[in-house]
Amino acid sequence: MDPFFLSIENSALSVWLRESTTTWAFPFVLILHTVGLAFLVGVNVAIDLRALGGAMGVPLIALRRYYRWMWAGFWVNAFSGVLLLIAYPTKALTNPLFYLKLTLIGVGLVLAVKIRVYVTSGAVGPTDVAPGPLRRLASVSLLVWVASITAGRLLAYTCSRLTVETSCR
Amino acid sequence: MSVSLFDVWTTINQFIYDIWMSVMQWDWLNDHLRAVLNTLYYTPMGEFLRTSTWGWPLFESLHFTGMSVLAGTIVMFDLRLLGFARAVPVRAMHKLIPFGIGGFLVNMSTGICFICATPDQYLFNAAFRWKVIFITTAGLNVLFFYTRVFRRLETFSDEHHTPPIAARLVGGVSLFAWVGVMTAGRLLTFFRP
Repeated sequence: MDPFFLSIENSALSVWLRESTTTWAFPFVLILHTVGLAFLVGVNVAIDLRALGGAMGVPLIALRRYYRWMWAGFWVNAFSGVLLLIAYPTKALTNPLFYLKLTLIGVGLVLAVKIRVYVTSGAVGPTDVAPGPLRRLASVSLLVWVASITAGRLLAYTCSRLTVETSCR
Repeated sequence: MSVSLFDVWTTINQFIYDIWMSVMQWDWLNDHLRAVLNTLYYTPMGEFLRTSTWGWPLFESLHFTGMSVLAGTIVMFDLRLLGFARAVPVRAMHKLIPFGIGGFLVNMSTGICFICATPDQYLFNAAFRWKVIFITTAGLNVLFFYTRVFRRLETFSDEHHTPPIAARLVGGVSLFAWVGVMTAGRLLTFFRP
């Protein structure tokens, strides 16, 4: 895989992201990735909390408007994530945790789509307790998002190779 | 002569820096602050974060989780105040706020532990000053919300009413302040002294 990693690391974009000293290169991409995370996970937290009985009085269907903020967060993070990957391909792709993180995000999104079916059906009115299967989906969803955040944060501490040429620390 | 946005930014930042440094160098405060920082530095939590392998990453994960809960409750409520998702009854949506306060307390605790571990990395850091300013802004905004807007929530509770200007102002300032907190927080590592 090293020649493939090298070809990415030698690209102009990758070099600029790694070596530019302006705040607008690497730090800005990290800021996007954090704010995107807040919106992606935030909307899921809000809907899961309502499903678990956290804001009785809110009809679940009313929260569907928030999905656009969730998807905006997701696409900001897909975009900034690809940039981070272009900056340090070896660092991410040689770390098993990176694949775990992607899997957890995938599971989180599948759960979000399953939960969305309940949200748009309008079956959970303002004062209704959410049905058992929805409550279980919501609990697992919360756990999966916390796990993907943890996996993502640990990436910075578990890498073995920073680039093809250099090791971490 | 033209004044660029960058000049304005530099001037504001310098101004905040001057105030911060004059506070930091104020003898009385400095003596006490040093004593406080020393105490913090040798707390079990500070010691733990400095010496353990997984303590710091674990606390960071908690910090990001707290942030997501805060975003999922307070920021979502801000969007409602701004007039998005008007089908959501605003009084009922407010029941999510205690969860956001929970997230904030988790982040205050973990944040104070980070400061205990390496106090000088934060207190002489421009990004940290901005973070404190944004948190203070959010805090004052909360005060404004509960004194001026909270009792009027019923007046725009259903979807046919546009939130009053005060409510939209509170929502906008809060959203801006929290995104500012996240931005400054993420920049901390790049402004370490």
